[in-house]
Amino acid sequence: MIGKLFHGGIHPPTFKDLTAQKPIKKFPSPDKVYLPLLQHTGTPLQPLVKKGDLVKRGQKIADADAFVTAPLHSPIAGKVLGIEECPHPTRGKFGAIVIENSGSQEDEINGILFQEEIERMDPKSIQNWIREGGFVGLGGAAFPTHVKVSPPSGKKIDTLIINGAECEPFITCDHRVMMERTDFILTGAYLLARACGAQKIIFGIEKNKPDCIEKITGIIHKVPLPTQVFPLPVLYPQGSEKHLILTILGKEVPPGGLPLDVQVVVSNVQTAWAIGRKAQEGIPLIERIITLTGNSLNNPENLDVPIGVRLLDLVDFCGGFQVPPEKTIMGGPMTGIAQVTLEVPVVKGTSGFVFFRENIVKEEYSCIRCGRCVDHCPMYLLPTDLFRYAEYGDFEEAKKQRALDCIECGSCSYVCPAGIPITHYIKIAKAEILLRAKKGGK
Amino acid sequence: MEELRFFQTPAPHLKSPVSVPKIMFMVVVALIPATVWGIGFFGPKLTLPPLIICILSCLFFEWLDCKIFKKPVTIKDGSALVTGLLLGLSLPPGSPFWIAIAGGGIAIILGKQMFGGLGQNIFNPALVGRAVLLISWPKLMTSWYAKTPFAFPSIEQGLVAMPQGVDVVTTPTALTLTKEYGFQVLSQFEPRLLWRLFIGAVPGSIGETSVLLLLIGYFLLLGLGIVKWDVPLFFLIGLSCVALITGQNPIYHLFAGGTIIGACFMANDYTTSPLSFKGRIIFGFGAGAITCIIRILGGYPEGVTFGILVMNAVVPLLDKLLPRRFGVKSS
Repeated sequence: MIGKLFHGGIHPPTFKDLTAQKPIKKFPSPDKVYLPLLQHTGTPLQPLVKKGDLVKRGQKIADADAFVTAPLHSPIAGKVLGIEECPHPTRGKFGAIVIENSGSQEDEINGILFQEEIERMDPKSIQNWIREGGFVGLGGAAFPTHVKVSPPSGKKIDTLIINGAECEPFITCDHRVMMERTDFILTGAYLLARACGAQKIIFGIEKNKPDCIEKITGIIHKVPLPTQVFPLPVLYPQGSEKHLILTILGKEVPPGGLPLDVQVVVSNVQTAWAIGRKAQEGIPLIERIITLTGNSLNNPENLDVPIGVRLLDLVDFCGGFQVPPEKTIMGGPMTGIAQVTLEVPVVKGTSGFVFFRENIVKEEYSCIRCGRCVDHCPMYLLPTDLFRYAEYGDFEEAKKQRALDCIECGSCSYVCPAGIPITHYIKIAKAEILLRAKKGGK
Repeated sequence: MEELRFFQTPAPHLKSPVSVPKIMFMVVVALIPATVWGIGFFGPKLTLPPLIICILSCLFFEWLDCKIFKKPVTIKDGSALVTGLLLGLSLPPGSPFWIAIAGGGIAIILGKQMFGGLGQNIFNPALVGRAVLLISWPKLMTSWYAKTPFAFPSIEQGLVAMPQGVDVVTTPTALTLTKEYGFQVLSQFEPRLLWRLFIGAVPGSIGETSVLLLLIGYFLLLGLGIVKWDVPLFFLIGLSCVALITGQNPIYHLFAGGTIIGACFMANDYTTSPLSFKGRIIFGFGAGAITCIIRILGGYPEGVTFGILVMNAVVPLLDKLLPRRFGVKSS
């Protein structure tokens, strides 16, 4: 075990005190849910239901004939009102299945696994079982989990890392999941390890959550594989896959590579919880834990919510606003996305919403080449040069200067004394480089 | 619920409190001890007019340039203030007012605005101003005044007696005398020379004399994380190496002339120093070494100005040195 600090990184104020010690509250079954047909990284879904159909809670309602995708299940029992264009937290508007609650308790329970069954299953069938649950990375990127745990032939996985770093400020949903839903996490972690063939499991948890470290350490002996808890240094972006692997194993994922290139699979702790829950209760990914927080909200909370519930219903549940927010973000404040409306639904990748009374603005000056972005970049980039290449449209040079290595953590923009949105410029450069590569390839 | 409108800006949504004007302000604060010492040591009459005129000149020319080229006026970022103060501190006490005006104008217009303004310039603006003044009016820029008890005897008189009588006299600097007589002779004549250089009780430019107070200011900036340690340290190492090779006293060269203000406040300038650690080491070492080579072999007794300017020119090249790449083992 290495415990090595990565290069750069920042220490933003965490504001986690607002919700870290608040137990998860169950959000009551909503009247309506809005389920976008794209809630994951990959191919959009085709609906399997039509207007007027009655669906059960847990019933599969959309799927796609593709590998990189994740099916969708209804979080409530009710009637399909239609398939409509609805606000989407990251894509403006997107087609969504709208379901009205019938108030009945009809559940479709599917895929409960007993320990003996798990032992009997081969990796392939566990991967399929995961796919049928619609699981995606719940940390925010929403990458389909079954894809992550299916190493291409020839690649062997030896370690599964369960990511409990939760380095984003404000967000505490994973913290509460580790404290309150520990049993499911262990089952899920074991299934993930079996699916990808990992021989050991390591939980990475930042040292600012000593209660979680203690809790998980106390029960990991129940996992039938060698399992340990690794207390991580508190440093943003410790929760980035690449930096988590570097800190825990001392290995660096090669440029453009994936964790599996260094024999590792990383999964978010809440994903493990959701998978464990399906094994024990037969419920696919239809609910998740999110954090509603920020200085504009009356009662910041950690909530257990159905996917598809609209943000305005959640705000009401948290007692409304003390002061109307100037800015609403889905996700943490370092990487999260500013929202236009409260009518957006919770999607699978929603880790929470942060409501700011005031939009933090920093006056913009010329870059003075102070080098703070260089010193704090966890990927050894020269963000000050990259943003200028993007600004002047020299994407070839940006590519040469490794723009694609950027993990978009936001550290450069955070530390910039000139208030330049460096990360944003680099994101634009990355998008342009990828677009040109696609065009050139055809 | 009433209609809410939200700000739409890209992530990250948190920002650190550090800003360009705050950084510039802290640099000014760090220079205050040495400035106050200069004013007290040489007397306000000789020091306040050049300092104030220099700062005002820098602010004025930046304002003028922005107006002429119809750009937003940028003097509130504080960089012209820092340039003006640094240039003023590097002028000899008693410099005529027009030297200060010309210096400020050259520093801002030629040194900074012509390159595109803050952050775009290749050469340190204050040093560009000083270099042009030094070449254009060499006599004025190397005429030093000091209060009689602290003056050195002039070269013509030889190292026989301290000047007497009047309140303020012209005097050579320690570096001028070293060039003429060598450090050995000078230190025999004034055994407390190193101590006097350290506290700043020697003739020289307004703000460059006190090693102690300049270092206090520098360590303040270092402690606040505003500046780095690499360039100054390697500047001093480069200087010491050349001094040792040529058989000179390295401590003397570290304390004399503008070494400390140059290494800690001018070579360490953000815009005109390299970004990468490797580049910064080469840059600092080179600037220090060239400074000492000019002192020993060159026509000028002091070499800080040109040492740093020469290395400034190499920075774009040094910035081609990329840091190591994540995920690629360094060979």
